Amino acid sequence: MNRTLQAFIRKELVQTLRDVRMRALLFGAPIIQMTIFGLALSTEIKNIKLAAFSQAGDAMFERVTEGFYASGWFARVVYTPGADPFELIASGRADAVLIAPAGGLRRSAERGGGKMQLLVDASNATKARAVEAYAKNIISAAAVREYGARGEPALKFDVRVLYNPAMESSMFLVPGVMGMLVCLITIILTAMSLTREREMGTFETIVSAPLSNTEVLLGKTVPYILLGLVDAALVVTAGYLIFGVPVRGPLWQLALASLVFVVNTVSIGTFISTVSKNQQQAMLGGFMFLFPAILMSGVMYPVENMPKAVIAVAYLDPLMYFVRLLRNIMLKGGDTQVFWTNLGALALMAVFAAGFAYKRFRQTLN
Amino acid sequence: MHILRDPFTLALALGLPVMLVTFFGYAIDFEVKDIKIAVSDRDLGPAARRLKEIFSTSGYFSLVPQAAVSGPVEMLDSGRASAALFIEPDFSKKLKGGGKAEVQFVLDGSDNSKAAAVMGYLPGIQRAAMAKLAVQAAPEPFSAETRFLYNSELNSRWFTVPGLAAIIIGLLAILLTALTVAREWENGSMELLLSTPVRPLEIMAGKLAPYGILVLAGVFFVYLVSRLVFGVPFAGSHMLYLAACLLFITAALSQGLVISVITRQQQVAMQLGMITGLLPSMLLSGFIFPVESMPKFFQYLTMLLPPRWFMAAARGITLKGADLGELAVPFLALGLLSAGMLALALVKFKTDLEP
Repeated sequence: MNRTLQAFIRKELVQTLRDVRMRALLFGAPIIQMTIFGLALSTEIKNIKLAAFSQAGDAMFERVTEGFYASGWFARVVYTPGADPFELIASGRADAVLIAPAGGLRRSAERGGGKMQLLVDASNATKARAVEAYAKNIISAAAVREYGARGEPALKFDVRVLYNPAMESSMFLVPGVMGMLVCLITIILTAMSLTREREMGTFETIVSAPLSNTEVLLGKTVPYILLGLVDAALVVTAGYLIFGVPVRGPLWQLALASLVFVVNTVSIGTFISTVSKNQQQAMLGGFMFLFPAILMSGVMYPVENMPKAVIAVAYLDPLMYFVRLLRNIMLKGGDTQVFWTNLGALALMAVFAAGFAYKRFRQTLN
Repeated sequence: MHILRDPFTLALALGLPVMLVTFFGYAIDFEVKDIKIAVSDRDLGPAARRLKEIFSTSGYFSLVPQAAVSGPVEMLDSGRASAALFIEPDFSKKLKGGGKAEVQFVLDGSDNSKAAAVMGYLPGIQRAAMAKLAVQAAPEPFSAETRFLYNSELNSRWFTVPGLAAIIIGLLAILLTALTVAREWENGSMELLLSTPVRPLEIMAGKLAPYGILVLAGVFFVYLVSRLVFGVPFAGSHMLYLAACLLFITAALSQGLVISVITRQQQVAMQLGMITGLLPSMLLSGFIFPVESMPKFFQYLTMLLPPRWFMAAARGITLKGADLGELAVPFLALGLLSAGMLALALVKFKTDLEP
């Protein structure tokens, strides 16, 4: 690497890091955000507000509802006698209402098949589904308590969860959040860098400097690749220290995957930068890439849930491959076949992205 | 005028929300389906065959033919299956003799949401299997019949589309204003603007109003798409929805303005806008992860996020047909947040002007 290029890269780094606020955003924000998301988000539905309606003295029904409140998923809703169960849900004071059969649960059960009614607020369909599943299990457990086991069930599933036996949400979310943060930061940095030079008129200075096109491009991208890698390392370390998220696979896999991914995002950012006329356009361009990339990455819901045609689009999302790689390396210990196929796809995309960026960049320079 | 001169921004502000809502309304589905199960069937008897049938006809699972070389656990490692089912050699014999049989079910826990969904499906499969395999099971002494209110078919579009609209519109509003003031400072045209006899309040209003109108037009198109394309019901009052939109847009535009006034530099403004706008509004607003499931501290912290309140108001109005009385809290919170942020932007702007 020649001296001019080195100096150029140093200048870019200094320029970006000179601003205290920028330093805070680049290095502080990822750690703070990861901590918040890791602590706050849980794939488990909790604190479901449940109201129980029965006639006075229905002791068996009361024992069933105690089972709900003791499970830890449901919270008790206190209501005034004579309230309308539908009104409780409509006003959002309850998420679900359990109603005892008329004449008491015991009488109804002994007449054969006591039917309670469960009203569930389904304005959040996912939550409603979870509430129903919890309720079914709690009620069967209560039936066993009241009437004794009807013999051990003849068929039983012995369920074992691999890689994350306690089903901790942070284990699953941290790799995803890490991918999103690195993606976000590098795209924004690079998308704005060139357009800013152009808006401020300093671009001409760079063009007139004794540097080749390739050198200018390298000088404009290498610093951001470095920053992206530093951020990746920061987030992994924070995930390990704060949440105990392991890195079960080899570190070189993690480093290589991060490098190839950051080359991708920096190239895409540079491309956005060359096609936008001002910083506002660059920002909207960045948004147009980031929003779909994040939603299709599989961080928030499995990729396979999407319709076939959309999955085809998701295969163009570098973040999807990166999140797969991260989960595979950090949680599963880095299966070699998964590693090389996803890395290969990511590398192929990096070549294309860098090629496009370079072509556009040369056009802009000349 | 400034905005209209830039057709790119105009097209984006109007077209982007519609495009994104249409695409992702179609794409996002939180119901976990098509879970691949690797089966190791060492029984090969009739009961084992029927058990596999129950899995594959449930609509949630698809069985993966097992490769000769790799075992089910290797298939989990390589991600070719999300779960593995082990049926022991004497499974059919045990059940036939009226005994108890156990099957081992191993799950890939690296994707929590999927694993949790599979665990939720299992009791149903177990019940179906016991019935089908003619294992005599007494009827349950009591059970509950579930009625889903507001969305009886549990159509997940009805709940993702309004949420998605809220996120996209909020973000767009933040991003549009985040750069405006910062750009004027960078270009030096702020001095020009200040030397004219326009008061700071008027400058602020002049910055907000056009973007407000632009975003509101975006809301209208998104509304059309969600009603016509996705058939999302609209149970509540349109006026109330419009009021909620206006409050939310004001809050988001003001948030952008605060960012813009504080940073005064476009690159920093954009970083801050994306970081405070994009991920929190997707992850902490209750769009996917319900706010009530978060730890207490975060339930309070998320109160500072306008999308959280708009999400509650939008879902309440569209699906539940809630009235103003029932939505008093979200409306009040949105109003307070907009007023607070506007005031903050104005105060900061004024102090900046004094030398």
